[in-house]
Amino acid sequence: MKNITVVGVGYVGLVSGACFADLGNHVVCLDIDKKRVENLKQGILPIYEPGLEELVERNVKAGRLEFTTSYADALKTAEFVFIAVGTPSDVDGQADLRYVRMAAESIADAMDHSMIIVNKSTVPVGTGDWVADIIRNRRPDAPDFSVVSCPEFLREGAAISDFMNPDRNVLGSTDPDAAEKVAQLHLPLRSTIMITDLRTAEMIKYASNAFLATKISFINEISNICEALGADVSEVAYGMGLDRRIGPHFLNAGLGWGGSCFPKDVKALAFMAETEGRHPHLLHAVMDINADQRKAPIRKVKELLGGTLQGKKIGLLGLAFKPNTDDMRDAPSIDIARSLLREGASVRAYDPVAMDVARDSLPEVTMMKNAYDVAQNADALILVTEWNEFKNLDLQRVRDLMAEAVLVDGRNIYDPAQVRAIGFKYLAMGRGYNGEGVES
Amino acid sequence: MKITIFGSGYVGLVTGACLAQVGNHVVCVDIDEDKVARLRQGEVPIHEPGLDAIIAETAANGRLVFTTDAAAGVAHGQLQMIAVGTPPDEDGSADLSHVLAVARTIGQHITDYRVIITKSTVPVGTADRVRDAVAESLAERGVTIDYDIASNPEFLKEGAAVGDFTKPDRIIVGCDSDRAETLLRELYMPFNRNRDRVLVMDIRSAELSKYAANAMLATKISFMNEIATLAERVGADIEQVRIGIGADPRIGFHFIYPGIGYGGSCFPKDVRALASTARAVGLQPALLDAVEQRNFAQKHVLFDKLNQHFEGQMAGRTIALWGLAFKPDTDDMREAPSRVLMEALWTAGARVQAHDPVANAECRRIYGERADLQLSDDPYTALDGADALVVCTEWREFRSPDFADISRRLRAPVIFDGRNIYDPQRLTEEGIRYYCIGRQQ
Repeated sequence: MKNITVVGVGYVGLVSGACFADLGNHVVCLDIDKKRVENLKQGILPIYEPGLEELVERNVKAGRLEFTTSYADALKTAEFVFIAVGTPSDVDGQADLRYVRMAAESIADAMDHSMIIVNKSTVPVGTGDWVADIIRNRRPDAPDFSVVSCPEFLREGAAISDFMNPDRNVLGSTDPDAAEKVAQLHLPLRSTIMITDLRTAEMIKYASNAFLATKISFINEISNICEALGADVSEVAYGMGLDRRIGPHFLNAGLGWGGSCFPKDVKALAFMAETEGRHPHLLHAVMDINADQRKAPIRKVKELLGGTLQGKKIGLLGLAFKPNTDDMRDAPSIDIARSLLREGASVRAYDPVAMDVARDSLPEVTMMKNAYDVAQNADALILVTEWNEFKNLDLQRVRDLMAEAVLVDGRNIYDPAQVRAIGFKYLAMGRGYNGEGVES
Repeated sequence: MKITIFGSGYVGLVTGACLAQVGNHVVCVDIDEDKVARLRQGEVPIHEPGLDAIIAETAANGRLVFTTDAAAGVAHGQLQMIAVGTPPDEDGSADLSHVLAVARTIGQHITDYRVIITKSTVPVGTADRVRDAVAESLAERGVTIDYDIASNPEFLKEGAAVGDFTKPDRIIVGCDSDRAETLLRELYMPFNRNRDRVLVMDIRSAELSKYAANAMLATKISFMNEIATLAERVGADIEQVRIGIGADPRIGFHFIYPGIGYGGSCFPKDVRALASTARAVGLQPALLDAVEQRNFAQKHVLFDKLNQHFEGQMAGRTIALWGLAFKPDTDDMREAPSRVLMEALWTAGARVQAHDPVANAECRRIYGERADLQLSDDPYTALDGADALVVCTEWREFRSPDFADISRRLRAPVIFDGRNIYDPQRLTEEGIRYYCIGRQQ
């Protein structure tokens, strides 16, 4: 049992805090947002993550998980302080560290015994050193402390299982003893623990996300070439993926990546490179392709509807940037809905969990109760997020409800031959000439 | 089965030898009389581990035959494989004249059903052009003969080609006829015992799979090199980053070694050909172009480091090079990073003393005799009197060298390691100044 404080009850902080508590530690989660903390005390979570609610409830009941807004309370017995606050990106892509700075300053002000400060937020390379400097400058008399970087590798929608069964835990510090102590916290997870220096640990996080984004943009570039040449990207990806040096993961062509990590991290990494006088060719290309990819469904719908979207009713199936999350940050659905509206269409949508969150950024989109209500009298449907419940829709019924049976499949979840047999005009992503499918 | 293979280059020979070894009767056709004569005497024109022995064995028992007689080749095999070269044109697109010439030859001579299989790496749509070329030849002859077209791209790594052929990750067959599919499945049965590795798909997807696979691997390398340049600047260690990201199974440990860029006969050509194909259909291949640009820049990294170390005073220096081939276990120097480095050194007025375990002859063939290039059969004599050692290729024999001997022979102990094969701490202990890629120097 260790005493752990987690600063920030966003996605990373809450998952980490609840999981550390579940492993038997005593965890205090701190946030400066009073409303959030009040809600959490009543069991109301600020985010949707499968399994998290139950985990929080169980550990609160067992007295291992507490919430507070007071640094003094939170740090009283803390041996480890995890910083898990947000690091949004600036307009130019630079990570905005104001919350990290505020956390570091507040920790400095409140600390009255030595502790290990663990940075879990995704921060630019060099931030760990910067945090240490902030504390030292503010409190020249501060008790001993060390800074350890421990980047999170949680996937939204699978975060608890990712925390409990990690591929690896990366720890970086200039103080090997401190890194060793943080490693001890992670021992129950029985994963590979890699201890390295501070800056390298910070870089590993960015490089991992940038590489995964690169894979997706790569297959999307191939998908566009497939459409021009009459090949099928799903076959190509399968064929490629069987090469062990490539592997089958992250090669699904579609509407590209979004969410709170990839866009921000790729941008921040490119910004770091530029700051250091390096031109990040590849990262720029990865971002350009992703931006372009969101225009494809507009083009396709327009084509199937005879060249104009003026006055058309378009339905979106799925809004979240990927399934099993309500995260709408930088979701393709936002760009797609706004383009459709700009072109004079009316837009309605259904998403199993993201509609409440989506209303803020998409006030002009009508939210419906289910996929069939979206289809009712619609001129076209765009499958935006590949939620499981869309994979086996009664497509016959969908077609009968629609004014025009037009379907654009942004995630290649349907079988082109089957959908056409039902009577849809159907286009997918990268499957044959113009996405029309390949005869086999 | 009876198989004919057009083109006795790298792909044709490995394919022919491996297919003959499992009991097929293979005829290899090549228009180069000299090459065919040498092959008949057991002289194999390429360096590929294990290949000589298989060719010797199968030629001796008569299952592997070399000829220049195309008509006899067409008469022999029901399966006709086209494995001729597809060198890039100036704009990066593949030159298909050899492939289409073979197609016409087949059309001129066939008398009954044949499956015509493109094995060369060819742009999407080539199989259709082969089909048309055969049809034209048949029309000129005024005959109608049934034939099928298939695409069966090779996935052979130079240096490991025999193993790749006999124990493949996957066998991709693109075809549109059941008859051809049955024959090709039968052909690959001997290599398919562990589990079914044959993937049958439409022809164009099969053709594109090959390019996409090579482009993805090239992308991984360029990605790591881009991160390495950044790691160097912000004080991270790319080798640790590699281990950290590779542990994610969605990324994996394969092909994420930072270095001095990819070369050889496949990646550069295929990335350019795919980009050129994309441009031809009106697409801007942003990522492929970036992969290529990063690779171009990466090949200059070693020279820049040398130049900086010697404060721009390169004229009159002697630089020792270990490794010339674009990668270990091959003598292939096409687009090798070593060439970019040597040429830059010569332009700057430096001399090169180089050693490669197998590529010395190839280097001599490319550059001829010149005063500023000395090729050495022994890695250590290449060091004598040199100002620095540069490692360009990570041959195994370079990985655990006698550092004391290196220090003794060099005028000053400094190593530039383009492949990160040494431990920086160890070299510091040995008193050697060490430069590498993406790590703190």
